[in-house]
Amino acid sequence: MTKNVLIALIAISAPLAAQWSYPTAGIPRAADGKPKLSAPAPRAADGKPDFSGTWDVEHNKACPPEGCIDFYAPQEFSNIGWGLKDGLPFQPWARDLAKSRSAALRKDDPLSHCLPIGILELQTIPMFRKIIQVPGLLVILNEYNASYRQIFTDGRPMPADPQPSWTGYSTAKWDRDTLVVETSGFRDGIWLDTRGDTITDAAKVTEKFRRPNLGRLEVEFTVDDPKAYTKPWTIKLNQILQLDTDLLDYICLENEKDLSHFVVK
Amino acid sequence: MSRVATAILAFLVCAPLPAQWLHYPTPGVPRTKEGKANLSVPAPKTIDGKPDLSGIWASADNKYLQNLAADGIQVPFQPWAEKLYKERSENLGKGRPSEHCLTHGVTDFDALGINWKLVQTPGVIAMLYEAYNHYRQIFLDGRPLPKPTQPAYLGYSVGKWESDTLVVDTTGFNDRGWLDDGGHPQTESLHVTERFRRRDFGHMDLQLIIDDPKAYTKPWGPTLHLNFQPDDEIMESICENEKDVPHMVGK
Repeated sequence: MTKNVLIALIAISAPLAAQWSYPTAGIPRAADGKPKLSAPAPRAADGKPDFSGTWDVEHNKACPPEGCIDFYAPQEFSNIGWGLKDGLPFQPWARDLAKSRSAALRKDDPLSHCLPIGILELQTIPMFRKIIQVPGLLVILNEYNASYRQIFTDGRPMPADPQPSWTGYSTAKWDRDTLVVETSGFRDGIWLDTRGDTITDAAKVTEKFRRPNLGRLEVEFTVDDPKAYTKPWTIKLNQILQLDTDLLDYICLENEKDLSHFVVK
Repeated sequence: MSRVATAILAFLVCAPLPAQWLHYPTPGVPRTKEGKANLSVPAPKTIDGKPDLSGIWASADNKYLQNLAADGIQVPFQPWAEKLYKERSENLGKGRPSEHCLTHGVTDFDALGINWKLVQTPGVIAMLYEAYNHYRQIFLDGRPLPKPTQPAYLGYSVGKWESDTLVVDTTGFNDRGWLDDGGHPQTESLHVTERFRRRDFGHMDLQLIIDDPKAYTKPWGPTLHLNFQPDDEIMESICENEKDVPHMVGK
């Protein structure tokens, strides 16, 4: 496992901290200038909560005594079912697939090849996301590989036969202050985490986005994929607002030197 | 351009197949009685009275992707840049970033005849490119251009309104990008100015000014014409299963 972790770290060398910091506008601050992150969430012109902002994963992994590593990922980055008491309700083949992917030291992990990652892993990878919310559309910009995802909020129906894709096709509607996002149309075999847990092209993912206050975004994921799991399962992947910073231009393939070092035991 | 280069280009930029969900009617598009998009009505405005550039756009003519000077501009090369450009042309574009699935930069994304989506808010514009599934941000909140410290393919962009024209300045480029597929070189001193003017609902003029004194003796660039793409969407286009590099043998 140590070798596995090492490869993961090499493969995803995080970009250096930016000197591009610029004060985020519109943040309520205390007299001493500290942001009031527990203030109410902002509202869009239509009265709905506004999720716009730059977000980092909520860190739930303790740092070692010598300090946190640069690429400081939450538990779910390497095990998406970490928070589930009984683990993921695998169909047997899906359990075997994850075992064989782990045994192969992630040689075929799309992340190791600078390919896109799925929408769950995009919420656990410790690189920022930025949400831009406009009428009819929520855009998530991912620092990882300068990629993006669209969530349509204009009332359109889910297409009957979406073209299989890494991020799927997402439509959403409001349930009071919660945005309920339905996504399907995934490619088969997307990795959910670095140990190789998977979803199939039959997967439907429901996300419930809530912003309980200015500084926090809570996203509950329910994965319903009868081909890979015996029943739907639900986890929460929360995000913390990042101020006075922004995404960097991270092109994974630029100067990529790792693939040739992927030696499988 | 030689036939081989054309074939290779066509091979590299294989567009995804159209899918039925692409044709969901774009909300807010003015229509004729027959229900067709009416693209000659005035451009829309945002609540704050600025032109709203939002929508899906594509360059009307892909010739500029191959050569930003396609209209006969005499490119004011520095000698070394002219030599490099000739080498790239004679070598059938070998070494172009896209050969290795690496991204376009600002000028070649602008010139690309593949859909991209502009999402406008008062403080920031996001450009979502179908090609490579990459995005670019343009900050409109009045921040200055930072001192470039991290050279990048897409640089750092700030924009401001001059009457109805959005003027975008971008610096912080690396010297690895090519300004176009033909291989006009760029250096880290590149400063691109884009002037976006939405003439009417369906048409946007985009004047490009390429100012890179290390590579060119004076600023130059074309004016591109972008067409609004109604009832269309951007698809996920990932440069994967790449099989071309071994065939890119150059001359």
